[in-house]
Amino acid sequence: MPTPPASNPPGLWRRLGGAGLPWLVPLLALAGWEIASRSGWLSTRVLPEPWAVLSAFWSLLRSGELWHHVVVSSGRALAGLAVGGGLGLLLGLFTGTFRWAETLLDSSLQMVRNIPALALIPLVILWFGIDETAKLFLVAVGVFFPVYLNTFHGIRAVDPGLVEMARSYGLGRWQLYRQVILPGALPSILVGLRFSLGLMWVLLIVAETLSAQAGIGYLTMNAREFLQTDVVLVGILLYAGLGKLADVLARGLEQGWLRWHPGYNPAHPAHQPHQPRALA
Amino acid sequence: MHVTGLELAELARAWEASDPDVAAARVGWNAAPPPVPGPGLALQIEGVSKSYGPRPVLRDITLRIEPGSFVALVGRSGCGKSTLLRLLAGLEGADTGAITRDGGQAQAGDVRLMFQDARLLPWKRVIDNVALGLPRREAHERAREALAQVGLAERAGDWPALLSGGQRQRVALARALVHAPRLLLLDEPLGALDALTRIEMHALIESLWARHGFTAVLVTHDVGEAVALADRVLLVEQHRIAFDAAVLLARPRSRGAPAFAAFEEEVLQRVLGTPVEEPVQAVPAWPAHGLRWAV
Repeated sequence: MPTPPASNPPGLWRRLGGAGLPWLVPLLALAGWEIASRSGWLSTRVLPEPWAVLSAFWSLLRSGELWHHVVVSSGRALAGLAVGGGLGLLLGLFTGTFRWAETLLDSSLQMVRNIPALALIPLVILWFGIDETAKLFLVAVGVFFPVYLNTFHGIRAVDPGLVEMARSYGLGRWQLYRQVILPGALPSILVGLRFSLGLMWVLLIVAETLSAQAGIGYLTMNAREFLQTDVVLVGILLYAGLGKLADVLARGLEQGWLRWHPGYNPAHPAHQPHQPRALA
Repeated sequence: MHVTGLELAELARAWEASDPDVAAARVGWNAAPPPVPGPGLALQIEGVSKSYGPRPVLRDITLRIEPGSFVALVGRSGCGKSTLLRLLAGLEGADTGAITRDGGQAQAGDVRLMFQDARLLPWKRVIDNVALGLPRREAHERAREALAQVGLAERAGDWPALLSGGQRQRVALARALVHAPRLLLLDEPLGALDALTRIEMHALIESLWARHGFTAVLVTHDVGEAVALADRVLLVEQHRIAFDAAVLLARPRSRGAPAFAAFEEEVLQRVLGTPVEEPVQAVPAWPAHGLRWAV
């Protein structure tokens, strides 16, 4: 069997380089920003230096304010997700399973879908005022549609051959649903979830500008009043971080529930780089 | 006297029809005969027709399939053989006529169908796929046994996406067998497999059929497969059963044997619709009109 070439072993450096290279540009950008701020070229009113952002973050964390605002914002977001997403899931399952329900409800829902959630803000204020219900409603309405559409599509797209096979093996209605239709619809439902998670944060940000006594939006608006641009940046970064966290959680769900799917399983042979083997 | 397999079957039928005792016994067929003991199912198909809208697919099919026998349905694609199989499985209803399984005594669980694609649930592991439809308590045990019979016991914990096409069909076979069916219907199950895997699967199916004794009906476009596996070959043509021949080759059948090849050639010519010609041989081992059947 031929020995591998001794000159460039794919070892530690290669792997470190492979993992580290995507971070090169952000690190350079960060360094550039720090230098520009320090040298006075970038005014602190426009963009504070990274160090100031970090120290603002630290002081907020120490005082406990940060945690309080994060909890309030996340609570609003999750409540909106629960209401909108839950309703979307139920209706999607309903219209997906029963043809008559689709005929009755689907076109009306599609009509409502075309109204952008943010355009409803004046109506929302008129109906609910500017308290928590208004924010919940906005987030829920936005989150509803991706979940509904993807659930509906997921149920409809289940392979009819599998349904026929399961029926011929004597699976009753409920067993068929539980063992064939729901798991078959799951990849689509999770896509809907990931989509709605992204929307959820966007809508929350807008909803929190309506008026609030707590939350990241309140923190940011307040800081803007007092020209505390570093706190504003902290708020923005918090939103980004929470969005990323939600996405990671959704990915985790996919990894767990969709291990069987060759597209989601990194250990699947289809994803392994092809290693040409010498015939011994 | 030189007789072909077809002619022999016809002679046998004519003799039976002329025998008064046998004829008397046959009268009882229309009144539900007592269920035949033993694992295989008897199938009685009377005057079955099926059309899809204006397009007729099957016209007035009448057939009896003996319990424990292995029957192959051959024909060109689109001739209706798969439709006939689906009617036997109960997946669709015939427009006219009746299909009686075991004189009406058969249970729903006695019939199992193997499809052209394995149709495994991708979100269940292999063992759970084989255990589909089984009562919870003994499910895993019986599934493991069935997997062992098809030679895939060590892949029990894998996801179906990681198996090859042949392995998936074997799992589908195990899934069908775990219910101890009395009638196994195979709808071109080996069509998507490569030639070598197909030959291995032939041996597997034949051995399992010999072991369990169920009635098997195989739909295939491959005449060689039909001759290798079946006791009886039926040709579906022009919406009817165009011919019905017994395969009188001894098991285990070897594909290279002259008798096998001759019979296969005959059936193939019949399927293709060309008249049966004198077999032309470069070096005749025996005269051109020679023996074309073997015990």
